Amino acid sequence: MITEQGVKDFLKTGGYIADDAIATAVFLALRMEKPILIEGPPGVGKTGLAKALSSALDFPLVRLQCYEGIDEGKALYDWEYGKQLLYTQLLRTQLDNYLSVSADLREAVERLSAEESLFFSRNFLVQRPILRSFLSEKRSLLLIDEIDRSDDEFEALLLECLSDFQVSIPELGVIEAKRKPLTILTSNGTRMISDALRRRCLYLYIGYPDLEREVAIVRIKFPEICDTLARQMVEFLRKARELNLRKPPSVSETLDWAQVLSILKESQLTPEVVANTVGVIAKHQTDLQKVNDLAVQELS
Amino acid sequence: MERIIAGFVAALRESGIRVSPGESLDAVQALGLCGMTGRRSSRQLLRLTLVKNVNDIPVFNEVFNRYFSRYKFFDPEMNVPELMDAALIDMEGEFNYLNQRQDDDHDEQGPLLKLDSDINPEDLQDLKSLTEIDPDDSDGNEIVVQMKGYRGKAKAPRPTRRYTQNPLTIELNKSNSAPMGITFTHEEQIAMQDVVSRMMMRLRKDMKRMKNNQNRGKLHVIKTIQKNYRHDMVPFQVALRRKRREKPRLVVLCDVSFSVSHASRFMLLLLHTLHNQMLDVRSFIFNREVAEITEMLANMPVNDLMETIDKGDIVDLDANSSFGQVFLAFKKRYLENLRGRPAFIILGDARNNYDEANDWVLDEIREKARYMLWLTPEERDTWKRGDCLMDIYGSYCDRVEVVKTVEDLSLVVEDLLRDIYADHAHPIDKKRLREAKAAEVYDSKDYYTRGSSGGGEAVFEPSGRSHW
Repeated sequence: MITEQGVKDFLKTGGYIADDAIATAVFLALRMEKPILIEGPPGVGKTGLAKALSSALDFPLVRLQCYEGIDEGKALYDWEYGKQLLYTQLLRTQLDNYLSVSADLREAVERLSAEESLFFSRNFLVQRPILRSFLSEKRSLLLIDEIDRSDDEFEALLLECLSDFQVSIPELGVIEAKRKPLTILTSNGTRMISDALRRRCLYLYIGYPDLEREVAIVRIKFPEICDTLARQMVEFLRKARELNLRKPPSVSETLDWAQVLSILKESQLTPEVVANTVGVIAKHQTDLQKVNDLAVQELS
Repeated sequence: MERIIAGFVAALRESGIRVSPGESLDAVQALGLCGMTGRRSSRQLLRLTLVKNVNDIPVFNEVFNRYFSRYKFFDPEMNVPELMDAALIDMEGEFNYLNQRQDDDHDEQGPLLKLDSDINPEDLQDLKSLTEIDPDDSDGNEIVVQMKGYRGKAKAPRPTRRYTQNPLTIELNKSNSAPMGITFTHEEQIAMQDVVSRMMMRLRKDMKRMKNNQNRGKLHVIKTIQKNYRHDMVPFQVALRRKRREKPRLVVLCDVSFSVSHASRFMLLLLHTLHNQMLDVRSFIFNREVAEITEMLANMPVNDLMETIDKGDIVDLDANSSFGQVFLAFKKRYLENLRGRPAFIILGDARNNYDEANDWVLDEIREKARYMLWLTPEERDTWKRGDCLMDIYGSYCDRVEVVKTVEDLSLVVEDLLRDIYADHAHPIDKKRLREAKAAEVYDSKDYYTRGSSGGGEAVFEPSGRSHW
């Protein structure tokens, strides 16, 4: 049986440092077979968690990126009209022969409708991400990314999939998931997500990590960065987050910065180093100035 | 354990967090799966399963601490020293509890409930007695009584247009006579977000339908062919060209002079919350001079902005307000740049300090505007008194409204937004909207009736407000 500590450990092998809340959520999601809804500021590793999980658990990752106007044809399934048309064309002679034995039109229609299911069978079904993950032989990880970008209608569509892990196709009936996928939904909170969807999920809020965890994250991703530099970086960025910037630096910025510093082979943060690499952590012109000022104030 | 969870869920609902029965079942299941290994992990489990919104997390933490802080052992087999220990822990707990109330926003070590070591999952039955709320405690009693009323559910959005139990109104009424600070309390901001989000919910549904209908236009040939590829090009489904949709624009001129600071601060808060929602809003503030604050509203926390305004950094607050001069300056500097026939909202008391009225500017603004709405905090019968030019200015406006509370304000703004959208709406929708509007029953509290016969004025209490 997997324990919460176990979850933490195997996430670490996937290169992801989890805190207690994350580990508990993953553990519960695995045991209760419920989706997790993750909210939090951009760049704190919401999608990263899903990727790390998929590699650590060896679940194939099925990713569905949401956008405005996404519908069931893009998310669940679609019929392959081209193939259907092509088949009817190719089979025309067979059809003629098949129907020619019938005595009158009524019988011909009956014969034809008896074979109707041929053209609405799984042969002609295009599996889109959700259905694909449901039908996967191996338990998969379904990542529904940035759900807040989609419309209300799409959210409603997800309700059936997420609570019962099944897809209703009018022509084929209800298709149930072979193995219930571990489902992760992420949201940046640009739009309120309906309570109905929230109710079906475990809710996990990932904020900025605490000092130790962020240092650990830098160290696991970039082992060549020494502990003191990592600590210095993280402390600096934590102060920068309190500066009220337009785009506060997130964990992903921390990692970018760590990469830049390791390429430049810096071993110490100075105002000059910050000034040279500030573009990695601040993404607006007004922010640049603020971060530089902070560097002069804190590091000199 | 089920009873504890049920009780805890009831306490959460009482505090306004909506928890469904399904979620409480989840919580029970989760606790069963993970076992009760410690206070922290139990809290995490409960939070994961019961709380579905970031904003609810602090409330959850508070309820958790309150609910799992008192306990009594009723074990007859317990010997005296243990009992003493329990009592000691209990007392300690109360102290801890008192000390921690100030800063227990996050988990870490909570007050007590020593689930950690001395109780294993088999003893869960005992937990029932641990969490029973002491009947002698007046606090507890109150909670029990209130739970029956299910106040949590009362917070759910209701179909009525008026929210009679709005916390902000109560707050406003309370603070009316007292001197007011300029910055907003956390509660005020939350309440405002609440009002606005409910308003948005109601609006959004209508907007969506209208938006869909607006797409009706000429046939889009390529899209129609693509769409009907599946039907062997027989056009069963028709795709129509999307009509160019004009984005509704709003221009707000807000008086920030001392005499209307009550109303303007809430107007600014409303604007701040409205910003980026679905409108193109340009906001200006004025006293004797006028300045645009659109950028600041979008980028600054509202309290910082209020402070900046209050310090007089944006417009000089010491001067006497002059509407005439403001209109003139506005015309010179901004009027030419306003595109797309915006709707105008002007908030002010129209007290011109005997300056030149310059009301002809309003006429020019009127030409540019789709709609002009004046919001004043003053009663109708004072509109002609003293230096008040409301009657003159009002004659240029489509509507003049008396707003006294945030609700008035949000109702008026919602109505305006509806009107703006209705202007863009498809003819079918327009007809439907007109019918809906005609069918609406106005009661005496409705702001529409405000000036018609003087009957509406009975609703407003005279204390403090009419003498701004």
